[in-house]
Amino acid sequence: MSISIKKSSQTDGYAIITRWMAEKGNQPFSFQDKTWAAYASGKSGMVVAPTGFGKTFSVFLAVLQDFMNQPEKYRVGLKLIWVTPIRSLAKDLARAMQEAINEIGLDWVVDVRNGDTDVKRKQQQSKQMPDILLVTPESLHLLLAQKARDKFFKSLRCVAIDEWHELLGTKRGVMIELALAYLRHHYGKLRIWGITATIGNLDQALEVLIPAPLKGVKIVATEKKKIDIQPVYPEEVEVLPWAGHMGSKLVEQVVPIILASKSTILFTNTRGQSEMWYQLLLEAYPDFAGQIALHHGSIDGAIREWIEDALSEGKLKAVVSTSSLDLGVDFKPVDTVIQIGSSKGVARFMQRAGRSGHSPFEVSKIYVVPTHSLELIEVAALKEAVKNNTIESRDPMVQTFDVLVQFLVTIALGGGFRPAEMMATMKDTHAFSYLTEEEWSWCLFFITRGGQIGANYEEFHKVVENDDGLMVVPKRRIAMLHRMNLGVIVSEAMMRVRFTSGGYVGMIEEYFISKLKAGDKFILAGRVLELVRIKEMTTYVRLSSGKAITPSWLGGRLPLSSNLSHFLRQKLARSVHPSAKEQELRFLHPLFARQQSFSHIPAEDEFLVELIVTKEGYHLFMYPFEGRLIHEVMAALMAYRISRFSPISFSMAMNDYGFELFSDTEIKLSEDQLQSILSAENLMEDVLYSINSTEMAKRKFRDIAVIAGMVVQTFPGAQKNNKSLQSSSGIIFQVLEDHDPQNLLLRQAYTEVFNQQLEEPRLQSAFKRINNSKIIFRFATGFTPLSFPIKVDSMRQSLSSEDLATRIRRMQESGSRPGKRR
Amino acid sequence: MKNIQEQEIDFAGETLVLTNQRALYWPAENTIILSDLHVGKAAHFRKSGIALPQQVATRDMERLQKLINHYQPHKVLITGDLLHAGMNSEVALLKDIIQENDTCEFLLVKGNHDRLSDRKFEELGIRILADGYAIGNIHFTHGDRQFSAGMHNISGHLHPGIHVAVGRKSTMRFPCFVVSETQLILPAFSLFSGLDTSCVPEGAYCYAIYEDGLFAVSC
Repeated sequence: MSISIKKSSQTDGYAIITRWMAEKGNQPFSFQDKTWAAYASGKSGMVVAPTGFGKTFSVFLAVLQDFMNQPEKYRVGLKLIWVTPIRSLAKDLARAMQEAINEIGLDWVVDVRNGDTDVKRKQQQSKQMPDILLVTPESLHLLLAQKARDKFFKSLRCVAIDEWHELLGTKRGVMIELALAYLRHHYGKLRIWGITATIGNLDQALEVLIPAPLKGVKIVATEKKKIDIQPVYPEEVEVLPWAGHMGSKLVEQVVPIILASKSTILFTNTRGQSEMWYQLLLEAYPDFAGQIALHHGSIDGAIREWIEDALSEGKLKAVVSTSSLDLGVDFKPVDTVIQIGSSKGVARFMQRAGRSGHSPFEVSKIYVVPTHSLELIEVAALKEAVKNNTIESRDPMVQTFDVLVQFLVTIALGGGFRPAEMMATMKDTHAFSYLTEEEWSWCLFFITRGGQIGANYEEFHKVVENDDGLMVVPKRRIAMLHRMNLGVIVSEAMMRVRFTSGGYVGMIEEYFISKLKAGDKFILAGRVLELVRIKEMTTYVRLSSGKAITPSWLGGRLPLSSNLSHFLRQKLARSVHPSAKEQELRFLHPLFARQQSFSHIPAEDEFLVELIVTKEGYHLFMYPFEGRLIHEVMAALMAYRISRFSPISFSMAMNDYGFELFSDTEIKLSEDQLQSILSAENLMEDVLYSINSTEMAKRKFRDIAVIAGMVVQTFPGAQKNNKSLQSSSGIIFQVLEDHDPQNLLLRQAYTEVFNQQLEEPRLQSAFKRINNSKIIFRFATGFTPLSFPIKVDSMRQSLSSEDLATRIRRMQESGSRPGKRR
Repeated sequence: MKNIQEQEIDFAGETLVLTNQRALYWPAENTIILSDLHVGKAAHFRKSGIALPQQVATRDMERLQKLINHYQPHKVLITGDLLHAGMNSEVALLKDIIQENDTCEFLLVKGNHDRLSDRKFEELGIRILADGYAIGNIHFTHGDRQFSAGMHNISGHLHPGIHVAVGRKSTMRFPCFVVSETQLILPAFSLFSGLDTSCVPEGAYCYAIYEDGLFAVSC
């Protein structure tokens, strides 16, 4: 490598670029030098560097240098495609790139193409492509769906995937894999460069981006971003922590932090929490009115853009946000980041911390506000994880047939494909390297005939083979529908929220609104709104005041990552004798003392089970510290196994630390029985008995059906609403279950349940760990500090192994009543 | 279809039998009354490139045939939206049923989806009734226009559904019959149809439908 760096550093291109950098008072980091050298020698690769060190410029300037060194090898037209996962990144990035190009003195044009780009601009681009185009995965696919695609891509030399860690492990990541394979096969020798933050599986990330037999180099910056983690301590320790209840008390301590900073981002985990904190801050310090803002996915795009601009210009004192601000170009004035509650993962935490302190060697300072006292242990665990640089992996998705069939139609739309050649191309991706002949024929059959072989699908002509042997989409209407529904982000059915007097507030889930009636009040975008009427996918509201409901948005609660849970168990075990440095643990001493005296604090090789008897009944608590999702599965499994000893029904509750089984009849459990229900034997079989996997698969199928084009999404405000094409995935799921059980998309739904919902590998390893641990079984007559937050958690659900008919009978016996509203 | 479960009600002085098969039976008239079959919907989807299995349509037709076998009615009266999108291959399935049951008369009050000409319907073997057609003092209408007040109406169109609390925190949606003093709204017969849970007027009774039966919910 050092030889090639020397070579590349002697070129004119290098000299021009470094001179330009020097004028700005910069000099290249060694990873930038390495990237430039690798690029100059024709390699593809991946750059790993923390935010704020110019990783964008490592690849972008490499392309410019290569062009300056051998302009004769570049033709007129699009030379570099730059993929970013979110639209708001593109605009500022394009501006920065264009500025650099102008200052360096080149005549390249940089442009953006995504869902925000207006039609006229897109038409101009289609006539004449800019030299660099910034796209999202979706807009890249839309380009591939155009008949003129050969003209667009003929001069292409490089595709860069920015924030690759954000895409990896998602279906959007698979979209990138498919597009790259297609571009590689059709438009000659491309260089592919990924840019990523540190994750646990970097080598795999590279392999997915640049699959064998191609070779890519991994260039890792040695520079490190320093992170200073500051917990915000409550005034006193609550020995019985109540989930979510403490945070609001800490607002008095958060206000001075904001006041002492130039500009602050407060990260919350859910939209509901962000709405709440926005209100809390205004109440605690009314002068904040007009100086703070609220930013989350339901807020109108134009307002969000205004907030982002105001933040860049330093006009805002603070912004309360969800993960909607996790990514983005640097907001220079932001010098403080506050995390409300646990970030649930190391990678997300570091990303958020990185939003403050922008110059490369500045320290990123992040305050953590616990929402209950136990979360202070999480702060200690996070510190440890950050120190050890133990960051979560992003497991790539494979065999996502919904994405594949969508892509095949996309390619058929943009001029067609030949099946044999296309299959070879698809197999060159990581996601479909194990694609079989049968699976491939099924996919082809699905897009040409609509489904199962042998069935009668006369009317179905989505993709047909034309006279030249190309698979194409002949019908305009189908083409239009496909373009409109392209992509893999399936959102809840959303409604627009508008004032009756005019003016747009934002978006809200239809299911939330469907439960309200006129006159009900709810909170959105920091305002109390009164529902006036619902008309044509729009909710009309007027401004109101007083008590209102905050919508609880589904899926807002992220489970604890397994990396963090490991450190959490470790810290808890050490809590009895914390070191002087572990302030969080020392602070929590009263809580640990109570846990120790009433029950037990599990050591690292112990597994704690508590049976607590109260007036209400019998509570069985277990503490695997594996995150809420895993606990949901484990709780169902434990209930099932206990009920095999004697019939008993439970309700269950869980948080990220443990779960509770509650019954009003006595839970009889001997030490031996406890051992046996915690056994790893027949694990998955029992899990399948204990949960309703069909119901779970049905939920997963919702996205799959939309991606595969079986259900048409409604977009509020879309010009055409395809009313006569409305249907629900649930009905289709049922029909396929009954009549086409081998349907690949149906199978995929079950696979996704196993991999994502049940997290089979993580579940297996959790049970293995428990089996190797000493099981500590304790009895108590009052709640312990560990059990109390689970007890009061609102996520309680009753466990129903009963079928629907039994549930309805029981409901009738207890006097049937309609839901909250009609 | 496993079974036909029944629930008798009084409406407009008549005894009507609601079934969990999304249709009602009027014993005195020996008539099955149903609405919103949306025949040909799946085929319409396929024409738009949306892959749906044939069984989406055949299931509905099988249920209709079983109801006819069970009650042996003189008449099958449909209050609109029989065809989803005009003529297509799935309409042939309906035609088969009409021809095989030649002792039974098929009557239709046209709905907003029934855009074919009356003659086309007659060629299928269906007699078209005027909107508001009455048997005794019960009037039949599709339900997309204003009812005449003070009369007893049976209608469809809305695909009524209801949220019911099951357990402490969860609710489920069920298709339902909506029954008030003067109005009876039928659920959509087709299983391939959505639900409108906001159409139930205050004070009406709902009979929610599930696979093994019906149950009453007051609103």
